[in-house]
Amino acid sequence: MAFTQLTSKMVRADVAPGQVVFSQRGAMLAYTGQVTFTPSITGGQGGLGSMLGRRIAHEAVPLMTVEGHGAVMFGHGGHHAHVVDLSGETLYVESDRLLAFEGSLEQGTMFMGSQGGVMGVIRGQVTGQGLFTTTLTGYGSVAVLAHGGVFELPVTPQAAVHVDPQAYVAHRGDLRNRLSTAVGWREMVGRGSGESFQLELSGSGTVYVQASEEKL
Amino acid sequence: MSQGFGPPPPGFGPPQYPPGAGGPVVHDAHTLPADDNVNPYTFSVHLDGQWFLQRGKMIAYYGQIDFHGLGHGPLDRLVASSFHSPLHAAQWVVAQGRGRMLLADRAFDINSYDLDQGNLTIRSGNLLAFSPGLALKQSIIPGFLTLIGTGKFVAASNGAVVFVEPPIRVDPQALVGWADCPSPCHHYDHSYLRGVLGGVRMLTGLGGLSGEEHQFEFAGAGQVLLQSSETLMDGIDTGSVPWEPGMPGGPEGMAGGGRGPGGRGPLPF
Repeated sequence: MAFTQLTSKMVRADVAPGQVVFSQRGAMLAYTGQVTFTPSITGGQGGLGSMLGRRIAHEAVPLMTVEGHGAVMFGHGGHHAHVVDLSGETLYVESDRLLAFEGSLEQGTMFMGSQGGVMGVIRGQVTGQGLFTTTLTGYGSVAVLAHGGVFELPVTPQAAVHVDPQAYVAHRGDLRNRLSTAVGWREMVGRGSGESFQLELSGSGTVYVQASEEKL
Repeated sequence: MSQGFGPPPPGFGPPQYPPGAGGPVVHDAHTLPADDNVNPYTFSVHLDGQWFLQRGKMIAYYGQIDFHGLGHGPLDRLVASSFHSPLHAAQWVVAQGRGRMLLADRAFDINSYDLDQGNLTIRSGNLLAFSPGLALKQSIIPGFLTLIGTGKFVAASNGAVVFVEPPIRVDPQALVGWADCPSPCHHYDHSYLRGVLGGVRMLTGLGGLSGEEHQFEFAGAGQVLLQSSETLMDGIDTGSVPWEPGMPGGPEGMAGGGRGPGGRGPLPF
């Protein structure tokens, strides 16, 4: 794959002619070879329609197109970076967590309500994802930003995984997620455990969790 | 160099305890490493003689160690041989004695580097400490310090340091320092701002900028040290240089400009 994890906070992307890498603007740390950085007006792939879709969905982050021949190192804001290699699956991730991704991946926007209706919308509010999230499908690498280190938890049909919504980073595969609440009288009187909302992921796939409850 | 090239060992999150360690490692005066890292954030100096350290970076020590501020006291001769900058000496402290001294800086990653008849230029805020075999000088690049000689120094960085070899172009914020290669020059990349559309874009800001229009370019043989984030550490005062004709920059630190003859900058006073 074209992305290499150099340190826990730095990712190297090899760029070759004909291959495009999209990255967050200003996230380049260094590069060798002949590489150009062009701000992507449409904020990623697709034409004007895709751009409008992303703008409306608030999933439009300033992206730039990286082209040429060489190697580029990416990192941003002292956050941890984590490389996810996709081989045909779909990665669901918030757009502002995207450090860089290969142009071979298909970028899309998904309405949270399409996974669980109203509860999906509420889930989006609790996790800070909002009403929409970004999807990346196909074959290629993605570098995802997180506060604190990232670890992967496999999800199998036998073993569902519960994640703190604030520590949730991304997930991939065929996963259904559900917000489970445990709000009782203790929460009402302000004596809650602080863990009353949890994200339950079931199905088969992988969920990426950051070792921090801080948002980016 | 005590750190190799290329990707570090796999694993996420910086704290990597020695294999087999199942929890916090308890050290005493004899098990503390000599001139090596205790963990990614702490460095242990085996002190027998003197070391120079930035004020406030010592967190603990074993043994008999005295700390002297610079500028007075019995160490004037040593100071004169190791410091060559006019003003910033007050930022430094001499540790003198025998023992183990622990250095750390706000949980930034700490690394040590060995120089053997070499030179290395580093961003001023990143340098924590160095042994007296090295001479500390101001770089002609403002905000950077140059170490020359043979010895060991300790530097902090935001995220582990990655070594790369020129030719390379580096984001100014990601640059920690460079060794053995000539000073960098500026590189501007406005290729997408060409033409009429580019002009409109530059004037109106429509479409935004990539944020990567400006880099430091390194050429020649040597090594460039990168930190893996764009968060800078606070710089320390490297001191100002008394201005004289021929100095890079003017008395105000502005390059070239000024009304003096021959572009020497504004006339002083």
